[in-house]
Amino acid sequence: MWLGNRKGATRRVVAVGLAGVLLLGACSSSGGSSSGSTDKALLIARSMDINSLDPSRAYCDTCQIYMTAVYETLIGLAKDNTTLVPRLATKWEGNAAQTEFTFTLNPKAKFSDGTPVTSADVKFSWERLQGLQASSSYLVSTIKSIDTPDAQTVKVTLSQANSAFLAQVNASYLGIMNSKVAIAQGATIDPKTDKAEPWFLANSAGSGPFTLEKYQSGAELRLKRNDSYWGTKANFPEVVMKQTADAVTQRQQLEAGSVDIAMQISNDAAKGMNGNGVVVSQVPSFNFVYLALSPGAKGGEKLTPKVRQAIRLALDYKGLIDATVGGAGQVQPSPIPNGFAGTAGLAAPAQDVAKAKSLLAEEGVTDLTLDATFPSLNVYGVDFTTAMQKVQTDLKAVGITLQLNPVEISVWADKIGKDGIPVTMLYFAPDHTDSSQYVQYFGLLKGSQWQTWARTDVSQTQTDLLTKAFAEQDATKRADVYKQLAESMVADDVIIPVVNPNLFLAARSDIKGLYYSACCNLIISDLSRG
Amino acid sequence: MPFLLFGIASVVFLVSRMTPGDPLVTIVGERNLNNPDIVAAAKAKWGLDQSVLQQYFAFMKNLVKGNLGTSFTTRQPVMHDLWQRLPATLELTMCALVGGVSVGIVLGVLAARHRNKFIDHIARFFALIGSSLPAFWAGLLLLYVFYARFGWLPGPGRIDPRGIAPNRVTGFYTVDSLLQGDFGLFKDSVMHLILPATVLGWGVVGIVSRLVRASLLDEFSIDYVRVARAMGLRERTVVNTHALRNALLPTITIVAFTFAFLLTGAVLTETVFSWPGVGSYAVDASRNLDYPAIIGVTLLGGTAFLLTNLFSDIAYAFADPRIRLS
Repeated sequence: MWLGNRKGATRRVVAVGLAGVLLLGACSSSGGSSSGSTDKALLIARSMDINSLDPSRAYCDTCQIYMTAVYETLIGLAKDNTTLVPRLATKWEGNAAQTEFTFTLNPKAKFSDGTPVTSADVKFSWERLQGLQASSSYLVSTIKSIDTPDAQTVKVTLSQANSAFLAQVNASYLGIMNSKVAIAQGATIDPKTDKAEPWFLANSAGSGPFTLEKYQSGAELRLKRNDSYWGTKANFPEVVMKQTADAVTQRQQLEAGSVDIAMQISNDAAKGMNGNGVVVSQVPSFNFVYLALSPGAKGGEKLTPKVRQAIRLALDYKGLIDATVGGAGQVQPSPIPNGFAGTAGLAAPAQDVAKAKSLLAEEGVTDLTLDATFPSLNVYGVDFTTAMQKVQTDLKAVGITLQLNPVEISVWADKIGKDGIPVTMLYFAPDHTDSSQYVQYFGLLKGSQWQTWARTDVSQTQTDLLTKAFAEQDATKRADVYKQLAESMVADDVIIPVVNPNLFLAARSDIKGLYYSACCNLIISDLSRG
Repeated sequence: MPFLLFGIASVVFLVSRMTPGDPLVTIVGERNLNNPDIVAAAKAKWGLDQSVLQQYFAFMKNLVKGNLGTSFTTRQPVMHDLWQRLPATLELTMCALVGGVSVGIVLGVLAARHRNKFIDHIARFFALIGSSLPAFWAGLLLLYVFYARFGWLPGPGRIDPRGIAPNRVTGFYTVDSLLQGDFGLFKDSVMHLILPATVLGWGVVGIVSRLVRASLLDEFSIDYVRVARAMGLRERTVVNTHALRNALLPTITIVAFTFAFLLTGAVLTETVFSWPGVGSYAVDASRNLDYPAIIGVTLLGGTAFLLTNLFSDIAYAFADPRIRLS
């Protein structure tokens, strides 16, 4: 046995004790902010979902905020979320056939390095977006050619009529980059040769009111005011977006004054928040969560039109909104969300259990069991597991059993791609302000996302109506066509919106100019303190 | 060790490829999964259009050069990501471990010396709570009490949200802030460590205190302790100088493996405290089926286990002369 030298042991104990005292001393010193604090910076707590900061590859909610702040689009969107306003372009016009659009750039527009924004930059930015075939490339898929007769004129020719093109140009992903700088950093329009993405993760080359200062994945996104901005300069010298995954933690940070804005406050977290220097408001959003029925999926053979209709009628929509977001949401009649063209006057969905049972009886369906694999997500404050449990309860009342199977989204994607999933749940947020995006995604058009996943027949009616909408120049007439499309998609009973959650805008009371933008999520340059 | 890591990399590569799941959803988003042009471009860019065997050889070729590939999620080289995040986790883990082991040893000694008495019960209860409380719950609770309710300690993050991180030398904010002579930032970074280190360290307290208690009780029944007591040595000397040193031997192993585990397993604490470490990176990687990141984190974890195993052997030899002599 070890019987150590007592003197040596004492020295060791003293040394360890001293180290402990030093550590404790360090750990018990009183708090305070760091000496490098930037008091006027705007701080935002947000669960960031950044996939890239390359303007041709970025595609996420946080990316919309970033892109809007750093890379300007030709056309902006007014606060009413409807009116298009000049940004880099002073004027624009389309031909009657909606196949050619001409933009005139503002000669005053400059990039952050002082070089003017020219038509060549627009051409390169959009051709790169199209060429790289990244997530947002579909927005420019109809572009056939881009001509630049002079430095201020951009003439775009489309491969087909597209009345939604101006709305697509307004999408934040169509921001313009400084082509000379980008090319010098390895940017090309060919995915095989393009090498610029890593550079864009640490630098920016836009003309917006902010520039990228620093990005640390999983920690923070730091933007610096573009002091040589050609338009009205932003109010904040710096904007720091802090990674904060949890809504409760976001609330705590906001209430403690550690941040100025909390961006993903859930209904539960928002309760009792108003006051003490914090203002919380809720506004209707264009985001929604939906149930999807796939008759062509393996195990979905019994999802006939009548059975799908019965499922739609069996759902307690108000109960779903109560269960998931505590009533802070709206019922959404069609896959085109409330407020978009074509949704005015649509009948709200309502529960009718008796009729649902009757339809099932007509089809001779009893004790139907369906696989309901869904991604285990919590999006816009809606917990998918809670929502699916409520759907399961509602359907149980009409004799349909759902086998709930929450999985990671990568597993879900694999399954829906291979065999399809009879009943599932997913979400959608708009990329721009035109209703066509919903038809292209949810409509049963050839090769559309849900025509492929649901494995249904192609709807010629919807195909023709969308072609008609794209060719229609008059906004009122186009809205009428979209309404027909919305009604047609409702009648398909493939996509059943279940919750259109409100958005909680939570900020310190001295933050002004906070509003929800359909194109851009949050427009940082509109914010001020006062 | 290189062969072992090579084996780990091979197994993880194969297992990740066999896992049912589609990593493309992370790369292109679920909205574009049926867009053949976008999917084809993404597959080509990330090498997913090649056979698993081709991918394996390409991966191994890069691995030999020290290149772990590029993360699907962060779009940065995995080595860069780990290099960025490892110091944050190391700083938190070391603080939690030092605190947890210190408190655990004290509690274990007290519990053993006062076996089945009030102090023993209190110490064991404290340890039990530390072992059984879910980290996310304990984290939220401590944040509510000490940050949101009373404002005694700062909230999530490594430093004040308005603060600017010190220039990187070691990546440890406490060290780097001192190196640049910013004592305010040093104090801020230390304060930010307290709550997450407490949550993480509390679990360590539970493990260490129970182990020390049990080992000490075993030592108390051995002859050399009786001899020491019979020689008239003070009880404190008998325990602290003689019995404790022998009782700590099994603790070395546990502490070493706990350290290695915490390097990649502190995810809940890191999430609640918005701590940009390796744990949250590992979870994001596995959730998104981010193959390069998964392999990178696994290799890091494997290396940590191998190194801590080596260190624990060295520490054993240092602590126990019988091992040195043999």
